Parts: sequence; C-alpha cells; structure tokens
Amino acid sequence: MAKVKAKERPQKKKQTLGMKILTVLFTVISVFYVAPVFIVFMNSFKTNAGISAGPFEFPTAETFVGFQSYISGMFYGNYPFWKTIVCSFFITVGGVALILVCTSMCAWYIQRSNTIVCKIIYYFCIFSMVVPFQMVMFTLSKTADTLSLNTPWGILIIYLGFGAGLAVFMFSGFVKSIPIEIEEAADVDGAGPMRTFFGIVLPIMKPTFISVAILETMWIWNDYLLPYLILDKTYRTIPIHIQYLNGSYGHTDTTAIMALIVLSIVPIVIFYFACQKYIIEGVVAGAVKG
Amino acid sequence: MKRKNVTRVAALTLAGLMAAGSLAGCGESSSQGGSTGGDAKKGKVYYLNFKPEQDAAWQDLAAKYTEETGVQVTVKTAAEGTYEQTLTAEMDKSEAPTLFQVNGPVGLANWKDYCEDLSKSDIYSQLTSQDYGLKDGDAVYGVGYVIETYGIIYNKTLLQKYCDSDFATVKSIDEINSFEKLKTVADEIQANKEALGVDGAFTSAGMEASSDWRFKTHLANLPIYFEYKDEGISSTDAIKGTYLDNYKNIFDLYITDSTCKGSDLANKTGSDAETEFATGKAVFYQNGTWEYGMLTGKDPKSTFEMTDDQLGMLPVYIGVGDEAKQGLCTGCENYWCVNKDASEDDKAATLDFMNWCVTSEVGTTALADDMGFVIPFKAAKEATNVFVKLDNELTANGKTPVSWNFTTMPSENWKNGVGTALTQYAAGTGEWDDVVKAFVDGWKTEYAAANAG
Amino acid sequence: MFGKGAASLPFLVKKERQMIMFKKRARKIYSLIFVLPTLAAFIIGFVYPFFNGIYLSFCKFKTTSNATFVGFDNYIQAFQNEGFLRSFWFTALFVVVSVILINLIAFFVAYVLTLGIRGSNVFRTIFFMPNLVGGIILGYIWQLIFNGILQNFGSNIELDATYGFWGLVILMCWQQAGYMMIIYIAGFQSVPADLYEAARIDGAGKKQVLTSVTLPMMMPSITICTFLTLTNSFKLFDQNLALTNGAPGVVSSSGTMVYQTEMMALNIYKTFYANQNSRGVGQAEGVIFFVLVVVIALAQLYFTRRKEVQQ
Repeated sequence: MAKVKAKERPQKKKQTLGMKILTVLFTVISVFYVAPVFIVFMNSFKTNAGISAGPFEFPTAETFVGFQSYISGMFYGNYPFWKTIVCSFFITVGGVALILVCTSMCAWYIQRSNTIVCKIIYYFCIFSMVVPFQMVMFTLSKTADTLSLNTPWGILIIYLGFGAGLAVFMFSGFVKSIPIEIEEAADVDGAGPMRTFFGIVLPIMKPTFISVAILETMWIWNDYLLPYLILDKTYRTIPIHIQYLNGSYGHTDTTAIMALIVLSIVPIVIFYFACQKYIIEGVVAGAVKG
Repeated sequence: MKRKNVTRVAALTLAGLMAAGSLAGCGESSSQGGSTGGDAKKGKVYYLNFKPEQDAAWQDLAAKYTEETGVQVTVKTAAEGTYEQTLTAEMDKSEAPTLFQVNGPVGLANWKDYCEDLSKSDIYSQLTSQDYGLKDGDAVYGVGYVIETYGIIYNKTLLQKYCDSDFATVKSIDEINSFEKLKTVADEIQANKEALGVDGAFTSAGMEASSDWRFKTHLANLPIYFEYKDEGISSTDAIKGTYLDNYKNIFDLYITDSTCKGSDLANKTGSDAETEFATGKAVFYQNGTWEYGMLTGKDPKSTFEMTDDQLGMLPVYIGVGDEAKQGLCTGCENYWCVNKDASEDDKAATLDFMNWCVTSEVGTTALADDMGFVIPFKAAKEATNVFVKLDNELTANGKTPVSWNFTTMPSENWKNGVGTALTQYAAGTGEWDDVVKAFVDGWKTEYAAANAG
Repeated sequence: MFGKGAASLPFLVKKERQMIMFKKRARKIYSLIFVLPTLAAFIIGFVYPFFNGIYLSFCKFKTTSNATFVGFDNYIQAFQNEGFLRSFWFTALFVVVSVILINLIAFFVAYVLTLGIRGSNVFRTIFFMPNLVGGIILGYIWQLIFNGILQNFGSNIELDATYGFWGLVILMCWQQAGYMMIIYIAGFQSVPADLYEAARIDGAGKKQVLTSVTLPMMMPSITICTFLTLTNSFKLFDQNLALTNGAPGVVSSSGTMVYQTEMMALNIYKTFYANQNSRGVGQAEGVIFFVLVVVIALAQLYFTRRKEVQQ
C-alpha cells in the first residue's frame, strides 16, 4: 500500500529561489483557501443587518453581538441543536461500526469461499457503487418505512446496505493480498473460521479497517438526502437541520445559521487534526485499491 | 496483539451503545405521551402541522391535551415550502398523519381520497358559518380553522408625519383610498425620505425563496380576484390575465419606492422587511394579521416593540374596481382534514382533539394568544390583534373584503415559476413578459399536469 | 459522498486463486454468520429498491401500492421534459469544466508539494480540509461569499446562470482539488527515484522528464482522479441544492419555468416531489440518469485504461 509521507523525501532539500517563491505563492493561496470558513466564523458574531450589509467587514461596535447568535442558535427552529449533534454522531459511529464489522466478515467469506453466489454478491456490491442515489431514493425510503427502519437505529441497516458496496470491495481487495497459508495453518491447528477471522485476519486487516472507516465516516456524517428521506421527522442530522433552518417562513436568522455552521464544522476539524495521517492514508488507499 | 484488538472493538461498541442510549433518551422525550393515561385502547393523534412559526405553540398545546386526557398527540411540522412533499411522504408511511391540512380546493383535489367526510362531526357544527367548510358535493372534507387578513401594513406615526409635512399632497391617512393616492403618497415619501428619516416608502420586497410568497401568492391574489369577479367564477383551468398590468403597477411601486435596489431583492428575506418596518425605516409593509405578534413583541422570539396605535392596515389597491369600497384581503387557506385511512380509534381521538382545540378554554386561548389565530368557531376568543379589529371595523363600515383566491392557483410549481420570474424582473435581468407568460401560460400547463391523474 | 464514489475501479479484478477453506458441512452455518447480515441489509438497502425502481419507471403511481403499468410512457415524457433536458446539458458542461479544472489544479499542486518546498505539510493539510465539510454546509458558506461579492455589483448568485455555473465550479474546485491532490501526491511518490535518475543521465530536460517519465507513470492516478471527479460532478446534489437551488429560471414556451442551474440529480428530485402525477416520470428520469452515469464511467475507464496499457 502506498503511504504518503511527505516528510520522506523533501524537507531536507535546499530551497532554491523558485521554491521560495512557490512557498510564498502557496501561503497566499492557503489564506484564500481558509478565508470562506473564517468569514463564516466572523459573521457568526454579527447582527443579521450587519451580515447583509457587508459579509466581509469585521464586526463593529454596532454589528457585534458576541455569542448571542450561538445562544439563539441552540434552539433555533424549535429544535435543540444538541439533538442534531447526538443524532449525527450516533448514526455516524453506529453506521461505521456496523459496516466495518459486517462487511469485513462478509468480504473475507466471499473471497475465501468463492462460490458462484458469492461472486454474484461481490459484483453486485461493486455495481452498487456507481448507481446514483436518485435512482433508488423513492423505493428505498418506501422500503425503509415499510420495515420501520425510519429511526436512528433502523437507518444503520440502510447505511450498511447502501454503503456495503465500497466496503466489501475494499476489504475483498485486501483479503486477496493476504497469503492464504496463514489461515490454512490456523485451520490445521483446529481454529474454526470464527477464531481464524477474529484472531488472525482481523488484525492483519487493520490498515484497511481504518481506510474504510474514514471514507464511510466522511460519507455518513455529511450525508443529507438519504437521512432526510428516511428518518422520521422527529430526528434531524446536522445537514438536515441546517437545510431546514434556511427556509422558515421568511424568518431566516442568518447569524444563528452562521453560528450553527461554525459549531458543526468544529467536530470535523478536531477529528481531522486528530486523525489527519489516517485520513490521508485512507483516501489514498481508497483510490489505489480501485 | 489479539487481545488489544478485542478490547478496542469492545471499547468501540461501548461508545456506540452509550451514544445510542443517550439518543434513545432523547427520542423518547419527543414521542412520549399516552403511557400515563393508562388506557391503551385510546387512539393516537398525529398532526402534521403546516405553519413552522406555530410549531412550538402546537407542541405546547398537544402536551397540555395529553396531560388532560392521556391521549397521545404527536405534532410534526414540515419546513417552509415543503408541506406538500412532506405530506406525500408521510402519507405513504405506516404511521401516517391522522390530522393534516389542505390549502383549499386545489389541495383537496390531490387529497380527496384520503379525507374523511366531516359533515356529521362536532367540529363542523362548531363553525360560525358553514362557508368555512371545504365541500365537494354534499361531503365536507375540510374545516377551515383559521381566518387571516392581509393588506398593506403602515406605520401610523410615520404616515401621519408625512401627512403633516409641506410636501404632502395627501393630507390625511383616510384619504388614501385608491391606487392613485397610494402611489402619490409612496412617491412623495420616497422623494423626501431624508426629511422623514426613512430608507424608503416600502420595505424591501424580499424575494428570497422562503419569503417570496408575499408577492407570488398574496399580491398575485388581487388580479385573480378581480378576474374571477368579472367572469363570475371561483376557479379556472386557464387564467386570462386581464389585470396583470395592474399587478405590474403595484409591484413596480413596491420595488421602486423601496428601501433597497431591485437587484438586492433576490437575497432579501421577510425578516429583513420586518426589521425595516419595525425599526421605522419604511412606512409600508405588505403582510398580514400573523405579523402582529412579531411587530409588537408579543411573540417571544421578537425583539421589536411597536404599539397598537402605531399600526394600521390599508387594502391592497391595484387600481381596479370600486376602490372606495375595497376591503382587506380576508380568507382561509388552512383546512383541517382527517385521514380516512386511519384506524377508527385514531380518527375518534383526532376528532376529539380538534374539537377540544376550538371549544375548550385552554385550546381557544392557545389558538388566539399563542398562535394569534382568528378561528371561525363559536367559542372563539375575542381578538386582541389590532389588524383583526381593523378588518372587522372596515367590514362593518360597508367595505367588501377581498377573498382569497390564491388557493386556486394550480400548483406549487406555478407559484415558484411566477416567483422566479418576479425576482428576475425586479433585478432587471428578466422581462415583465416572462412574468405574464409564467402567470398565464404556466397556469394552463400546470393545471393540466396537476389534474392529469 | 466520497464514500460512495471513491475506489470504484472494480473492473480490474484479476482472476484470483480459488480456495475453499470452509469445510463443506460447516459452510452453511458460517455463511449465515458471515454473509447474512451484510447480504440482508444489502438487499433491503440496494437490491430490492433498485429493481423495484426499474419496475416503477414503467408505471404510473402515487404510492408504490397503487402502481399501474404504462409501458414507455414515462420515458417519452421524460425526454419531452424541457427542464430535464436543460439539466442534462448543464450537467454535461459542468462536468467537463470541473473535471478538467480540478484535475489540472490538483496535479499542479501535488507536483509542487512533492518538490519539497517549505511548508508542504501545512499546505496539504489546508487544501484537503474542505472535503470534510458536507455539501449542504459548503453550499451555504459559498452562497454567503458569492453574494457578498456580487452585491457590490448589484447582482446575486441566483440572478445569473453564468454566476451560478462558475459559482458551482469554484465551489467544487475548492472542495475536491484537495482530495485529488492527495491521490496525485501518492502517485508522484510512487514513481521510483531511479527512473528520474536514469532520465537525467540520458540528458533529458525538465520538460522531457515530465512528459516521458512523470506523466506516463502518473496515468493510474490520473485514471482514478478523473473517474472520481467525473462521477462526483455528475451526481452532484447537495451543493447544487444549497448554492442556487436551480435559479435563475427561463419561462419556456409552455409557460413553465425551466431552471438554468439545475443539475440532473436536483431536477429528478424536484420532479419526484413536485406533484404526485409526475412520480413515474421522475423514476424514469432516475433510470436514465443511472444508465448515463454507468455508460460515462465505463467509457472513461476504457479510454484512460487504454492509455495506461499503451505505456
């Protein structure tokens, strides 16, 4: 597996003039890159009038409202914001955990037993990755409702089903690269498939586990249309909530929305800085596996 | 190695379970109810509410009802502009709404198959006038539960200040009784806005998608109303657009004598207009009785403090018909319907709940005070809303209220089309012809599409 | 959204070793434990809705329970739907522009970052960041920015399709360039150093090294990145919904509004939920959309793969 370690080669190189210019240029670009997020952050401290007058101006004494927007944002839209966080968090953690456990087992079995049925499942999984959501959105939400999967618990199953394609594909790819002799040895020792899988295969698969976890986390956390169509209206994830707030009978409290956008970005940024190495490896692995 | 992984998996599962636990907790709190009553045989009520701004009040009222009777009432609210979508999706579900609403004849055409006949129900007999029932033949499928009025709200203090100025040709508020006069006043205010200390005569006609209903629906009602009146009809599959020039005149007035440039309107919302009006930056503001709470600060979300004697409402004059006799626009676009396919218990529970809302002390108080509704039922509270009082006064003085015909608009698509055309016209990137096309041709196409099945 | 699109070059699965480690009699039980949970969820979450969707595209229906078979009616109507056709061309144009721009930018940035300039790691971190923010939120962030700029010129992102188009392109570049950059960086780093060495010994100039060593070696990364950007741009929904929601519109000859910046996914979604009579048409459009995505994805793979093989 290709690992991205920017440190490996560069860094020690002598910086020529051209490289120095590039550093300066990229610094400028970087500033522009983070500017949108910074502007939202800045506007979350301004009054609505202040935002519509000039979104790029720093808050002045007149337009500054401090944390007022964060306080009003907490219950904006008659829905407590913390609930959307809990909901998003639960669905993401639960969905990813379920996908990891179930699909890794499935992928291993499919690869190792290699029957016709397993092959069909495998190709169907791959096929499911290209299908656009609009193609199945109506029938999927209808199915989910018929089976009462419209709760945060039920939607985990939908995510397992709809997210299975990528995960099975990536795990299968990795299982193929594991020398089968290890498992055969375990088999000879009398370990059943359960022990072989959890004791031997699972630990070897750790890098792929992380990759799949990262990719699925990024997908589920940010997903809008699937939970919007499937979840019962009493539950809202963060994207659903933000979209909901944007049209509430003309009483749009822009500054509160800014505050909530900031609050919903914070967990992602923390997650990013905590697991940056894994995230980048995960992305690369996700691509290279293909 | 192996052990380590097992503990890791365990930790992960545990974390998941903990999150689940807290989630289950919150899920319960929003859907609990009936269990305290003990009588499992009682039906449940699921009300899919249309008005987002009254969501909290409905939740409160539902909780009170549950407390009193033990019957579980769930209230859910669709986001602005998505009621039809949400209702469609919810009706498909196993736990479908037992109580929902349609906006009038057009909405009813879509949902008739799902509506229980209410002609023998208590709630129908409680109506002050049978006209508020939504009928189809002998059956009553919907019961209007809120009567609303809109017009051009004005700031009395500012308008008086204008009348007292030297540049004013109209010297008294009472003289404003036609489009001509209204235009004169607005133009003069606009020309002297510094002297009056305002930014414009009219508040910004915010055309942002969540707010353009003030123009694509409410303002558009007037040309439709006058056309229907001429033709002696109450709905049509193809509108002629006889009075669209008048529609253009009033809309032009809104966007030229305004607090901002036409090109800024696309991004302006109803809140912007509300703020401008409530802070005295504009004199006129087209809106309705439901604004009363926000403008006066009686709504807990509001930070404004206008007083009753600062507020007045003019009819929306567009220069058609006998303007001296024209009243405010009063009508109903909210009809309660009971889901025919719900279980008998649920239906009974729903009807009881509706009846309780409009007859009990708690219910009528909540509807009148918390939600600011004027309800057409016998037990209704006396309105405190100054706009409602004004409407009653005008009607008593012999003015004819303009009825709400926008409920016959063919579809949401049609409204959105007109709204988009208006926005582009206001910004100068579109032509008025497009508004006319969207209005007239679009009506025909959309009507055909909506009634195809 | 990346979760779905990423890693999707399934067509290269080589013939693998056959191996049956499960003893025959035990197999059934284990297949239950290992495969069943995923399979069951997969059927609920994909297989059944997928086939049901194809079936319903030939039906007229309000809800799934009252569907009546109407043959190709829905497809005929879909192809007569001006909004749908318009959304196709808009999507096509958007895909072409954004795929080219994103890949050029990402390739260039990755190239510079592997040169070893100071601060490479910081830049990489920053450029990747937007990928973690959801499409809806990104859309609103950029709406604020664009409208803030445009209001100085008396305009708005929802008033001019040109602004809407470039707004979406900028948004997508901002979001996706970082992701593709990561893949390109990995590609650059996997080029063996001795190849460069050999080229230098042969006296190749910088340009020659790029065209005859770097580019050929980078073909696999280019394939992946074009594939990902292509499918992501094609299926774009959240950003479109939040940024312009399709505005502005042009009144068609029949008087209906045809929205100018509506992409296919959004158009299908709106057709579906706009009125109950058009659901069959919406489902048919969904099937057409699906076929398009598959055909384009396969075609792209076929062409770029062929390039790789030639090297």
